[in-house]
Amino acid sequence: MPVFPSNDWVNSFVEEINRNRKYEDTAKDWEGDFNFVVEKDQKFHETVYIYLDLYHGKCRRGGLYAAGEAPKAAFYYSGPYQNWVRLINGEFDPLKAVLVGKFKLKGSMMKIMRYTAAAKELVRTANLVDTQFE
Amino acid sequence: MWYYRSPTIVFGEDSLSFLNSVKSRRCLIVSDRNLEKAGIVDNIKELLPEDCRTMIFSSIDQEPTFSQMTSAMDSIMKFKPDHIVAVGGGSVIDTAKVILFRYARPDLDFYDLTPLEYLGIKEAAKLIAIPTTSGTGSECSWAAVVSDEREKRKNELASSEILPDYAILDPAVVTGLPRKQTVSTAVDAMTHAIEAYVSTWRNFYSDALAEKALELITGNIAEVLHDPGDIQARNSVHIGASMAGSSFSNSQIGLAHALGHALGAIFKVPHGTSVGLFLPAVVEFNSTVVHDRYDRLNSIFPESMRDKTLAGSLRKIFATMGQPVHISDAGISKDSYNAAKPSLEKLAMESTGLVANPRESESADIHMLLEEVMG
Ligand SMILES: [Fe+2]
Repeated sequence: MPVFPSNDWVNSFVEEINRNRKYEDTAKDWEGDFNFVVEKDQKFHETVYIYLDLYHGKCRRGGLYAAGEAPKAAFYYSGPYQNWVRLINGEFDPLKAVLVGKFKLKGSMMKIMRYTAAAKELVRTANLVDTQFE
Repeated sequence: MWYYRSPTIVFGEDSLSFLNSVKSRRCLIVSDRNLEKAGIVDNIKELLPEDCRTMIFSSIDQEPTFSQMTSAMDSIMKFKPDHIVAVGGGSVIDTAKVILFRYARPDLDFYDLTPLEYLGIKEAAKLIAIPTTSGTGSECSWAAVVSDEREKRKNELASSEILPDYAILDPAVVTGLPRKQTVSTAVDAMTHAIEAYVSTWRNFYSDALAEKALELITGNIAEVLHDPGDIQARNSVHIGASMAGSSFSNSQIGLAHALGHALGAIFKVPHGTSVGLFLPAVVEFNSTVVHDRYDRLNSIFPESMRDKTLAGSLRKIFATMGQPVHISDAGISKDSYNAAKPSLEKLAMESTGLVANPRESESADIHMLLEEVMG
């Protein structure tokens, strides 16, 4: 079972995205990359970036990066490690989590407004990964 | 963790007189030309405190775009209102919200009106909404529907900071509402209550409001249509519609709104008529996952209008109200509808109405629902 966050976890996540028909359907016109930012907190001591190159309903590439080394992305979904744990465990609705300030979403609002279902499905895919936490 | 948000609600007969106690020195009144001609804007002016200076903005079209909504910003910035009073239907109230946003943050663009960031709007002016239709719920919501300039699309912009501070629900302003608008706005309100009640974002507050809203609307709409001047029945429907607005605003709309917004963007069909057109089909589609909740709502319908299922009751009540359930009854030809189907499907798939609908839907489901209303 891959540990979150790790390269293995990112690979499993990418596989899940590419297996997710609902994501493929809602994001079929989507072009733009994402950085999922796992921010350091009391339980997790360094901020890391999970970079995803997303194109037409598929993830072409994913990688784990240290802060400052991650490729720039069109969108950023960020939150502290402990909130990621809760999100991956399915305790949070990905969009409600943004509306109550558990996560931040940055990027072109014009674009994201049209892909809210895709964005939600993308984040939700994280809880399909069989995950172990440190 | 979630919130329940609501303006202070002033309701019942004579509630417009609340305006007299408003601490305003400079008040912008946002309305439309018809209401201005009908003398409602003058009424509002007279009710405001004597020493309050007013400015009127009433050049609002049926489905305003961002540039129409903000066409008077230069004069508004000079006037420096401390209050904005919106008196009108959903488009007027939404326009006032967009004006407030632009007035507080002239540095930002239209898509920056999002719930994802603190905008610092609230300090600029107080917003008072006086709905003159019973249905859109805009007076209780933190969303604004803005038509796109470049393409046929309706954008659903939102921020908790554009929630009105006060909503005044005076039944006197709706007694003159024409039958067609009474029907389409009541259908919109019923759709708000039903969608909010089954949304994955539902909560105890939105549930309570949805149930009471449906009781007030279904229990009084026949009387309103029979005797439009019946102030008690109007009052019940008016408050019910606002409760439905508060319900969806604290929960979410669903698929009927995703499809209705798409239809309304391409064909000039009133908002309530378009969402209502899809509602029975959407209820049938969602029934596989929320039938117990629909049964509960169905039990709220007056016996004379109740069928075995909620979808059945809706078709029954819509028939008595004159709300179409097929596109041809809404004045859309099958040919033009068929030609528009790919765009309708795309627009619906891109709607925020999809995110909290109780049953997950894919393009194929949207396609099927679009077929359903062909008749
Ligand atoms: Fe609506």
